[in-house]
Amino acid sequence: MNKRFIWRAIAVALSFTLLASACGDDSETEATPTTTEAAGEDTTTTEAAPATTTEPGDTVVPVQDGGTLQAVLDRGTLNCGVSGAAVAFSETQPDGSTTGFDADYCRAVAAAVLGDSTAVAFVALTAAERFTAVQTGDVDVLIRNTTATQSRDTDVGMDFAPTTYYDGQQVMARESDGFTGASGVADLDGAVVCTNAGTTTEKNISDAADAAGIDITLTTFEDYDIVMDNFISGACDAVTTDGSGLVGRKAKQEPAGETWWIFPPSPLSKEPLGPVTGQNDSVWLDIVTWTVNATIIADEKGVTSANAADMAANPPDAEVGRLLGGEGEIQSAMGLPPDAFLNVITQVGNYDEIYTRNLGPVGLTREGSANAGWLDGGLIYSPPAR
Amino acid sequence: MSEESGVALESATEDDIDDQPMLKPEEPSLPPGEWVQKNLFSSVFNSVLTILTIVVMAFAVRGLLNYIFSEERVWSAPATNARLILTFAYPESQYARVWVTVGLLAVLAGTSIGLWAQWAGVSAKKLCFWSMNLGSGILLAIVLTQPGVHRDAAGEVLRDADSAVLRKSFATAMSDRLVWWIVGLAFIGAGLLAWNWLGEMRRRTIRVPSSALIFGSLGLIILSLWIVNYGHYAFSDGEFIAISGRTVASTTKQPWTVMWLILVGSFFLGRRISQSQRAVSVKGLMNLAWLLSPFIIYWVILRDPSIDYSHVWTTDLPIFLAFAIGGGAILWLLSYPGIGEAGRLAGVGLVVVAIFQFAAAFTGWYPMLQKARISFVVLALVGLAASNFSGERSQRVRFVGVWVVLMALLHYFATVMNSPATVDVVSENFTGGLTVTLFVTALTLMISFPLGVVLALGRTSSLPIFRIMSTAYIESIRGVPLITILFFFSNILPLFLPDGMDIAEFAAIILGYSLFSAAYLAENVRGGLQAIRRGQYEAADALGLTSPQRTSFIVLPQALRISIPPLVGQVIGTFKETSLIAIIGGFDLLRIGNQVIPAQTQFLGIKRENLLIVAAMYWLITFAISKYSMRLERRLGVGER
Repeated sequence: MNKRFIWRAIAVALSFTLLASACGDDSETEATPTTTEAAGEDTTTTEAAPATTTEPGDTVVPVQDGGTLQAVLDRGTLNCGVSGAAVAFSETQPDGSTTGFDADYCRAVAAAVLGDSTAVAFVALTAAERFTAVQTGDVDVLIRNTTATQSRDTDVGMDFAPTTYYDGQQVMARESDGFTGASGVADLDGAVVCTNAGTTTEKNISDAADAAGIDITLTTFEDYDIVMDNFISGACDAVTTDGSGLVGRKAKQEPAGETWWIFPPSPLSKEPLGPVTGQNDSVWLDIVTWTVNATIIADEKGVTSANAADMAANPPDAEVGRLLGGEGEIQSAMGLPPDAFLNVITQVGNYDEIYTRNLGPVGLTREGSANAGWLDGGLIYSPPAR
Repeated sequence: MSEESGVALESATEDDIDDQPMLKPEEPSLPPGEWVQKNLFSSVFNSVLTILTIVVMAFAVRGLLNYIFSEERVWSAPATNARLILTFAYPESQYARVWVTVGLLAVLAGTSIGLWAQWAGVSAKKLCFWSMNLGSGILLAIVLTQPGVHRDAAGEVLRDADSAVLRKSFATAMSDRLVWWIVGLAFIGAGLLAWNWLGEMRRRTIRVPSSALIFGSLGLIILSLWIVNYGHYAFSDGEFIAISGRTVASTTKQPWTVMWLILVGSFFLGRRISQSQRAVSVKGLMNLAWLLSPFIIYWVILRDPSIDYSHVWTTDLPIFLAFAIGGGAILWLLSYPGIGEAGRLAGVGLVVVAIFQFAAAFTGWYPMLQKARISFVVLALVGLAASNFSGERSQRVRFVGVWVVLMALLHYFATVMNSPATVDVVSENFTGGLTVTLFVTALTLMISFPLGVVLALGRTSSLPIFRIMSTAYIESIRGVPLITILFFFSNILPLFLPDGMDIAEFAAIILGYSLFSAAYLAENVRGGLQAIRRGQYEAADALGLTSPQRTSFIVLPQALRISIPPLVGQVIGTFKETSLIAIIGGFDLLRIGNQVIPAQTQFLGIKRENLLIVAAMYWLITFAISKYSMRLERRLGVGER
């Protein structure tokens, strides 16, 4: 009869629909792809797959029934939690791809489990939501420059794989102010030291200053780019944060004609960074642990992505043979294919390759640091593969 | 009968008012000298103020220009990361989907402009002014910007012994900018020539259509992509590409050219339709298309769901048919003209059952599909309103027809939303950058607008229960900061849901924004409601309108018209508030510029350039919204009638 009437009716009805579909239906939406399809889902209360809601801080939560390994195999991709905004560790590149040291370890785990280093779905997480994401099973493994600590291992309910990068808090200051690589915290007397607010670096430096019996002026800023701007402009005499961060800044932001030094040689704090998995899934933790160990052993034995296939055919010693899937291999016992670590080395590389590829461009060298191999005086050490 | 009177009243208030070019008696334009004296230097105090303002503005502009054109700026950071800023990590192989989206929006926008726009056009006088202003702006910028630096053959900045940069002399800098001198003077010259040649009368009467101006300037921008050497910045196969001396990549300029052609083409299509008989129904269809577009774009085009058809045949389709046929039958009965109070009672009964079903879901009493439960709520609400749609047979048929279409849409989207995406993207939020900013804004407004209107009506209602509930809702939401609500919805809400129920992050975010925005919208609308004079209500009563008719045909249209300025303020506010997504873990425009790009090894610590670009994008969109609202206000005569 008249069209306005119909359109008004449609408008009224549609606003209900929009409300309804916004409130109810997409609540079930993205739960499906992240969790395994449970049989007979339609008879359960909702269509959503059984994702257990957990309180953050809850201890001992079984991450997924049947284990993370089975979930990853069923899904065919590894959900890997990264930062997405951490220089050299996990960067989001202009084409949307994720690169970096942490990202490469995600690829290594995917290569070991699925035989394909590209079968990774990177989930970018903030520092606040990272542990909840592991507990709820949103990510299978968290490799997000996360420091292993006692409370995180126990109270927060995480399990830590071996450390892949030994970091530690250091200080950076100008040569023109009389600092050298051998300077110590005691030399900072009277200096304006800047760092970002709300982190443990703030507490570490003031503790160190108290211990050395000096007075420093501690100034904090909201984020590290602003800290660096103030350092460059001269408002700060020294800046402090994790050594890896300082080296990156020095490589990229040191003005022509100025020299910055990073000290003290032994850092103010210990920040061992490594992969994290959910509590009490030791099959899965073993896989992540031995993927890391495999890259370290390969580095030690000189197995690289270029020669791994040859080495697998003619192993120089029994351990390399076992590791690359030859006689006496132990990978099958872990629930992995025998050539799992061969895939890791050929597709991603050994520890040194991963390190050099990602951390080299920002000026982080292994030599003389804690991240050198144990034979070269560093801490990178793996138990034997036997 | 009541129906017709309502329509008649409504048509007087809605979009039939022409925005004809009205030639207002204009003050004769003063000669420039007199104008300046009259407006800027009329007294000593004014003169001082004028000079002071000019000096301050010159310094500010100089600072901005020097900043933008400084040799230290790394504009290649946002340029290389343009894709990240616009769509975040949407995979390149699937980029055709993004272009389909843009194309769809271009068709909708072009057709709508063609259908609805009755722009008065811009007078030749204004155009002359714009041209002269643009020219003088360019000349001013040339003079104010500090001279460039000396570079060696490799493009490196030369420095003196103290490592300070070596700047060119002022004269060299000015002669370097010869091209821009010519451009600036050409604009001024063109404006002056046209001004004198046209004469007072023609300056005011000759009008250039706004559409031609808008599409023309868009076309010029796109044409410049093919001609001007903006530089080719890209990232492919892990390599950064930076070639400054060439035009942008063809993967940028070709699609945008096509998009422009689509836009202009659909504008002419819209124009054609607007003169045909079908204009009214096409307008309705366009409204529907706009309303559905965010859902189709987000869940169908961009996500490309893989629908499990065996599930569709065994579960989804039967449920749909049950609701379409069963629900249709119920509504057919409820819209029977003679049903009277029994119909209302049945509607209320349906609502009670619907609420009970949700209560049952939370306590886990009996299993039922979420989709069915929600469909039932919709059925109950439509059933409650059914008596308003009773009438002749054909009208009831249409009513039930609309219901079936509605159910089809609801069930289609529910199925699509529940199907996993086949497009692999980083991060749970599926998309990021400008895309997520726009989607959250659009969906939030769609949900919060009706909710806000309902709340406003509730708060002004004479029924205490509605008034108390609305007031309680509005005051409690307004008493809490938005960020708290967002934290609540993204972190705490999942803990309240019953076992096995999960809410997607994106849905939680939109829900949070919508509930917040609705409270503010409600207050804006209430402001409009209070401005309606008592006489309007009494006149409606005298005509014998029922209370819902009075509200929907007389009160609301006027109230909404009055509320346009605050409502647009709310729209703009919501758009800008989407930057809070960054805090709860989403990758919106701001976070990408502020955190993601500065963390790339290549562009470590490059932040200000990105932030400036992001700010410019926010400003452009906000400016467009407020310009549109000003036009709308003028067309509806806000503040004049």
